[in-house]
Amino acid sequence: MAQITGRRPRALATGGSEGLGGAFVELLLASGYDVVSVDRNAPPAASMAVGIICDLADRVALDRNLDAIVAAGPYRLVLFNAGVSATGRFEAVPLEAYRRLVAVNTEAPMVLASALVNADAVNGHLCFVSSLSHFTGYPGAAVYAASKDALAAYAKSVRKPFAQRGVSVTVAYPGPLRTAHAARHAPPGASVERRTDPAAAARHIVGAALAGRAAVYSDARARMLALAGRLMPDLTIRAMRRVIFDRLDRDVW
Amino acid sequence: MKPNILITGATSGIGAALAARYAGRAELLLAGRMPELEAMPILPANAHYVVADQSAPEVAASNIMAALDLLGWESLDLAVLNAGSGWSGDPASEPAGSIRNTLEANLVAAIALAYGLSPLLSGGRLVLIGSTARRGAPLFASYAAAKAGLDGLARSLAEEWRGRTKVQVIHPGPVRTDIHAKAGFDPGRARRFFTSPETMARLLERALASRRSRRTISFPRYLAAAVTPWLR
Repeated sequence: MAQITGRRPRALATGGSEGLGGAFVELLLASGYDVVSVDRNAPPAASMAVGIICDLADRVALDRNLDAIVAAGPYRLVLFNAGVSATGRFEAVPLEAYRRLVAVNTEAPMVLASALVNADAVNGHLCFVSSLSHFTGYPGAAVYAASKDALAAYAKSVRKPFAQRGVSVTVAYPGPLRTAHAARHAPPGASVERRTDPAAAARHIVGAALAGRAAVYSDARARMLALAGRLMPDLTIRAMRRVIFDRLDRDVW
Repeated sequence: MKPNILITGATSGIGAALAARYAGRAELLLAGRMPELEAMPILPANAHYVVADQSAPEVAASNIMAALDLLGWESLDLAVLNAGSGWSGDPASEPAGSIRNTLEANLVAAIALAYGLSPLLSGGRLVLIGSTARRGAPLFASYAAAKAGLDGLARSLAEEWRGRTKVQVIHPGPVRTDIHAKAGFDPGRARRFFTSPETMARLLERALASRRSRRTISFPRYLAAAVTPWLR
């Protein structure tokens, strides 16, 4: 495991052990950052990231780790990436899973962002990873959509006040990615090869965050889908229902 | 037969004004944080009341479910999830406890109630009261987040439940209620431009009749209502 030396810029990513978070961590390590990953699982054995093991759904655990996360800064870039989903009919998923989902996807990044900025532990950029569902809806994952909308609104809200402290705020809206998480929640027969490569999405998102842009999509296709959701909201959400909700054969949380 | 209507957050502000409008035309189950003895003088006569503190979502939901059971209501024609509360100030100094409480009371409580009420809402209507703050509000960051969450929930559920239960989210602009004082925010002279709860309740009832699943009651809409008071 790597030691933080103090000479290199530092970055923090939540959920850095796999998926898009893993891609963020590898990209930043390759770009010369010291990287801290907060995740319920340790980073992969070969990774040079410093792991802080913390289940973000667990308030007590988060509060216990907050000082260590702040102390490992200051960070040039913080990526609030950790997310979980729950797919199925709204009534088929236990309420407890919805609680966990809101805690990981919305509450933890808000608590962390507020604590980090208040402690002056960020000297650069924050990026909140929301979802493309922000521009349409997500029948079959209504609470996931709620959690990601909430995160996007929080990011938009803090953009100005945090700018006064020299911190930029970016919201990322990724579309479908080629990750294990997405595969677990996708309906049967969903095409994997058309999904965006997480490494490409990570490059795109990190570039926008470092440039201080307000919003970024995972790629051009995600941007088009967001536009469709805005221009044709009814058609787009019906399409979402047909390709996701109507095809779900199981409830996953 | 009178419709069965549930309204949460019914002891003050928009909820109380909406309850007053429906009184006499509907069977009302009203929910609020206050003890029953305190709430009774505020509520319309013949309305039923249940104590439901949204900052404990599961308890609030189970109290409401128990009250519905006690009343013997097997279905709801309309559930208006209106209860809300917030914190105001620099988002960097918002304590973790306040972030958590704001998400619990505004978002998780609505999820828990939609979850519990779902079987009773077949053929009925679920209305979530959001806020125009959902587009982003620097002084109400966690509140804006929670209210945007309601929008996402409603957009998705409206499609998921289409043909069974109509789901709407209505985003009111600022209303002259005590929510700002409770949140520690003084709107100052801007308060004069805030809608009265009664006007907002009237606009809400009109929005409820619309076929759209998302309505925003913005300032122009309010102005239009102010100059057309006969449109009741």
